[in-house]
Amino acid sequence: MTLKTLNLNAFKPVWLLGLIPPVLFLLWWDHEAAKGGANALAFVSLAQVGQALIDMFSSGELALSYGSSLGRALSGLLIGGGIGTLVGIAMGLSKPVEWAASPIYNSFRQVPILGWLPLIGLWFGSGDLSKLIIVALSAFYPTVLYTFEGLKQVEARLLDVGRVYRLNGWQTFWRIQWPAALPSIFTGLFQALAFTWISTIGVELLFSSGAGLGAMMQQAQLQARLDIVLVCILFVGLTGFAINFLIKRLSQHVLSWRSVRA
Amino acid sequence: MDYVPHSQIPGHKVKQTGAVSLKGIKKQFNFKDRELKVLSEFSLDVQPGEFVSIVGPSGCGKSTLLRLIAGLDDTYDGTITLDGQRVAGTSLERGLVFQDHRLFPWMTLEDNIALALTNRQISKDAKAKLVADHIALVGLKGFEKAFPHQLSGGMAQRAAIARSLVNEPKVLLLDEPFGALDALTRVHLQGELQRIWLAQGSTMIMITHDVEEALYLGDRVVVMQANPGRITHTVDVNLPHPRDRASPVLHRLKDEILAELTNVPEAPNSVVRLIKGDDQ
Ligand SMILES: Nc1ncnc2c1ncn2[C@@H]1O[C@H](COP(=O)(O)OP(=O)(O)O)[C@@H](O)[C@H]1O
Ligand SMILES: [Mg+2]
Repeated sequence: MTLKTLNLNAFKPVWLLGLIPPVLFLLWWDHEAAKGGANALAFVSLAQVGQALIDMFSSGELALSYGSSLGRALSGLLIGGGIGTLVGIAMGLSKPVEWAASPIYNSFRQVPILGWLPLIGLWFGSGDLSKLIIVALSAFYPTVLYTFEGLKQVEARLLDVGRVYRLNGWQTFWRIQWPAALPSIFTGLFQALAFTWISTIGVELLFSSGAGLGAMMQQAQLQARLDIVLVCILFVGLTGFAINFLIKRLSQHVLSWRSVRA
Repeated sequence: MDYVPHSQIPGHKVKQTGAVSLKGIKKQFNFKDRELKVLSEFSLDVQPGEFVSIVGPSGCGKSTLLRLIAGLDDTYDGTITLDGQRVAGTSLERGLVFQDHRLFPWMTLEDNIALALTNRQISKDAKAKLVADHIALVGLKGFEKAFPHQLSGGMAQRAAIARSLVNEPKVLLLDEPFGALDALTRVHLQGELQRIWLAQGSTMIMITHDVEEALYLGDRVVVMQANPGRITHTVDVNLPHPRDRASPVLHRLKDEILAELTNVPEAPNSVVRLIKGDDQ
């Protein structure tokens, strides 16, 4: 009996509160759309958006665009994040590499990602390769930074333990430095994920040829199809939300050895 | 090798290895504009299987001394030998217990101890057995899969002792191993350490700021003074192990050491600190 009451008390669906603002917003939106007249240009009814969603879904258009954006983001993350982690490791473990790479890294980092667009566009055109380079670059910067910082901050007192037990360079890296740097590396991965998704949509909007949610939005805007734009925005937002959720769960799992008490 | 301090204990393994010899150790740290003399003409001979306690005020170079013996720092003058061999770099023959346990928070207790065996050329089964035996030795059976954050301070320090013993080092160096623990846990672990030492028979050199602890465990107590760090006194404790804390001999020796410390005219501050450290 008491157990049941406890369980009920423990179940407090606070996340339901998070649904209140969007629901209120949608009600207001639909209200504005129903007014018609000049408003009809700026607001489309929810029913219309729903119809667009169904049309785009059944024609396969949505799957194609969404798949191509997601693929771009993931390959950009793998390439940029992979190279970034390797560069960060090299800079974190070797002083000469750090000295050689730091100035150029720190000055290039000052250029906003989309600031590279004109140059990349001139060199590689506005196709998939250029888009991939931009997306990879956006994953590259945070991964380098956080991998490097994480390795730099490994305490000498932990490295001393490795020396006492005569670990070689590889063992020291794999058993001590890498796990000690992992919380920082995850922070970098978090940022990289957010940046890749944003830059994927951004670069698709700007190089609007080819498939992708961004390109689809761009074309819908030219045709004044606000309903399609809204469907795209919805998918961009939900995907970003899902990505953040997944990476949070993953890092909680991998870093479970950390605790409030530690 | 005629110094056999605890030969009275039946079954005690007196090892014939583990003789540590320090001769004329000088150590200084160099800064940009000045140098800090930390150890000066430090000489000490430790017999195989002996337990030597070192007490001294903070900053007198005790940790520095242990780092030199452990091989974590090679920049000094003088010679350090283990069984006649000059010490160079770290070695599995010389174990070290730090004041903080320094377990890796991302490894289970078991894995932390097994890490010490990474470069031992023995079979997997032999490693597993050594780890299990040493977990049992320090009384942590059942906590193999626990992470350090799930252990109390005393348990973590036991695990650190197990890690340092799993290679069966000839000499175990302990740097204020119980300094961060509460008084009760400390007394308990002192007893445990004595039991382990009697069972293992390896040479032990322990640093402490607790004169009572030094006397309770040590065959010999070495008293240091600071600026530069040097030996000012050596006290032989000719009592069999395991010892009785209430022994009048220990109390007399404690009073003696404290009295001698308070009489050192050139470093009154450090003496006050030492006495404070003793009952904190
Ligand atoms: N790596 C180092 N660089 C410079 N000075 C150091 C270093 N390690 C220790 N010292 C100095 O050497 C002295 C002795 O330190 P330490 O051996 O830690 O003393 P103790 O362990 O007896 O308290 C202190 O003054 C300390 O500041
Ligand atoms: Mg110290």
